[in-house]
Amino acid sequence: MPKVITLEAAPDLRQIYVSAALKRRRVGDTLPDVRVARAGVSVDVPGLAAYARVCRLPLGATLPLTYPHLLAFPLQMVVMAGDGFPLPLLGAVHVENRIEVTRAVAVDELLDIDVWAQDLRPHRRGTQVDLVSEVSTRGELVWRGVSTYLARGAEHPDAPRSEAPSTTPLAAVTGGPQWRLGDDTGRAYAGVSGDWNPIHLHALTARPLGFPGAIAHGMYTYARAMGSLGPRLAPEGLTSRVWFRKPVPLPSTVRLRTAFAPESTLSVLESASGDTEHAVVENTWAP
Amino acid sequence: MAASSVPRAATRQPRRVAVLGGNRIPFARANGPYAQASNQDMLTAAVDGLVARFGLAGERVGEVVAGAVLKHSADFNLTRETVLGSRLHPTTPAYDVQQACGTGLEAAILVANKIALGQIDSGIAGGVDSASDAPIAVSEGLRQGLLAANRAKSTAQRLKALASIRPTQLIPAIPQNVEPRTGLSMGEHMSQTAARWSITREAQDELAAASHAHLAAAYERGFFDDLVTGYLGVSKDTTLRPDTSTEKLAALKPVFGKGDGATMTAGNSTPLTDGASVVLLGTEEWAAAHHLTPLAWFVDAETAAVDYVHGDEGMLMAPAYAVPRLLARNGLSLQDFDFYEIHEAFAATVLTTLAAWEDADFCRDRLGLDAPLGSIDRSRLNVNGSSLAAGHPFAATGGRIVASLAKQLSEAGGGRGLISICAAGGQGVVAILEA
Repeated sequence: MPKVITLEAAPDLRQIYVSAALKRRRVGDTLPDVRVARAGVSVDVPGLAAYARVCRLPLGATLPLTYPHLLAFPLQMVVMAGDGFPLPLLGAVHVENRIEVTRAVAVDELLDIDVWAQDLRPHRRGTQVDLVSEVSTRGELVWRGVSTYLARGAEHPDAPRSEAPSTTPLAAVTGGPQWRLGDDTGRAYAGVSGDWNPIHLHALTARPLGFPGAIAHGMYTYARAMGSLGPRLAPEGLTSRVWFRKPVPLPSTVRLRTAFAPESTLSVLESASGDTEHAVVENTWAP
Repeated sequence: MAASSVPRAATRQPRRVAVLGGNRIPFARANGPYAQASNQDMLTAAVDGLVARFGLAGERVGEVVAGAVLKHSADFNLTRETVLGSRLHPTTPAYDVQQACGTGLEAAILVANKIALGQIDSGIAGGVDSASDAPIAVSEGLRQGLLAANRAKSTAQRLKALASIRPTQLIPAIPQNVEPRTGLSMGEHMSQTAARWSITREAQDELAAASHAHLAAAYERGFFDDLVTGYLGVSKDTTLRPDTSTEKLAALKPVFGKGDGATMTAGNSTPLTDGASVVLLGTEEWAAAHHLTPLAWFVDAETAAVDYVHGDEGMLMAPAYAVPRLLARNGLSLQDFDFYEIHEAFAATVLTTLAAWEDADFCRDRLGLDAPLGSIDRSRLNVNGSSLAAGHPFAATGGRIVASLAKQLSEAGGGRGLISICAAGGQGVVAILEA
């Protein structure tokens, strides 16, 4: 039986980041058997509205697909900051994310959230792990997220790769929305998401962690992409995956190109010049 | 032009326009549960609720027409932006209209007319307003100074332009419910008209109490189950007070008017509200192809305006002029209706309008009629409640009324209904539905 840590409220991520910065971590090869849970979470509508505004999402009767991740993320951090977690929290990079929406979640539903880590495994540039988040209401699983984080370290050139789908269908797609992301983008998203990871805030806080400047939160650019696809996607029975390829430096201008199929979409988020592929987003749904 | 060719327009007959249904989000008191919702958020929620109810996802409808009274300059294409964010097909055209509180009904008239003329087969009309998420403008002096600085060609010119801005001009202008030409609020205008027509406090409170009782009863019997979709945890209009009474309303202090003659209170005036509504209109053929049954027919409409600026007429009296013109064109008397929907901007608005139609002098001198229009059967008035109870997000009221009246006519198994909506600027928009 896993140890279950039940939280009464969302933890303050700034404290977690600060204590993580002070902590020396022993690198291991096993995950602690821990689950972090919150029960009966109600969505704070002003907070949701602020998130929606920053990510250019509509404030609708149901939650944006990416919003439950925001509720689960602090719990992920508690798992990763906990004793015995084998990867360093600071500098860990979100490389891949998968969200399955069984049914649309109304803004006023009470949510039970469960988070745990699994599948610690080598990555060609270090070690990666999946943080699984399940959101249910009255015992019904409505939303499931799998966030894959990479801690750079010893390289494993032969590690199996999780490849994004081929972007060949996008070859003929020339247009798509273009967004100017200002240098305050990371701070704005930190303010609404609570993700104060220093790599997103300012060049001065990002450099010590190995980045030449601040980079956009992956879940921010992904949320904006999902917002712009929103009405073209099925609201329920949807699986949405994103592969974060190259960080989006701040400030920068990016564009989204999408190929639409009857039961799927495939998008690439790239630099305005088209030189750098930042992320690939794939959505699939049942007919 | 070939002699044998007959212009097609001459052979084309107007088509009947069906009201097929509607959807709105519950209306909510300003700065309440929808405080953070934008007009686009709310209108999108109303449209998507309609799309879900009528199976229109991915469908291109003929046109979507809507508007907002309090509108941010960034929302110049509000309705089209709403369509692009909704589940309607992105090739659905849309445009904005604005006729103050007449916006929603005017939008329905525009859609109905295009359908009647054969230009479109279906359309969605509606409106939205947020008194919470209101635009705030810079003062006129600051705006002029900034524009001059922007036009400046040299640094010296730019500094001179910026130096012209006075500290007091930095205070932003918050929109006020005031008529630009008179400086009076709508309530102050109404209180003058109410005094002129000797509308009593008791009559106003009675009308307000009836509005709450009727709306509560309509919710109770499930009337709104297929007219309203919950939003942000709200399932019922938040200004509704099912337990109010004339006694409770009588205890409120007047807020408009002066001295002992002041009769208008917060209880018999509409509160500032946030909300959105839409209605679906179409031809019989389009309805049949979508397996929809018309609730009612959109028969005819009329607008009127009065010269209120120098006090010749009350600011909210235009519907009193529009209705007789509409009746005359359709060969109807005021008594030929089964239901009357007279928008309750204030209880006094409804009562002065009814009083004017009963008044022989007014009908002769102002309307040019031989005889007064007469009185109506008050049991047929606003039978499912109106704006005093539901609230009045300005542009959303027309859609609320059209959908509710169409459903009421359908439930009654047929009949005729009159809609009357007053609007700022001394305007009135009225319409007839039949089932």
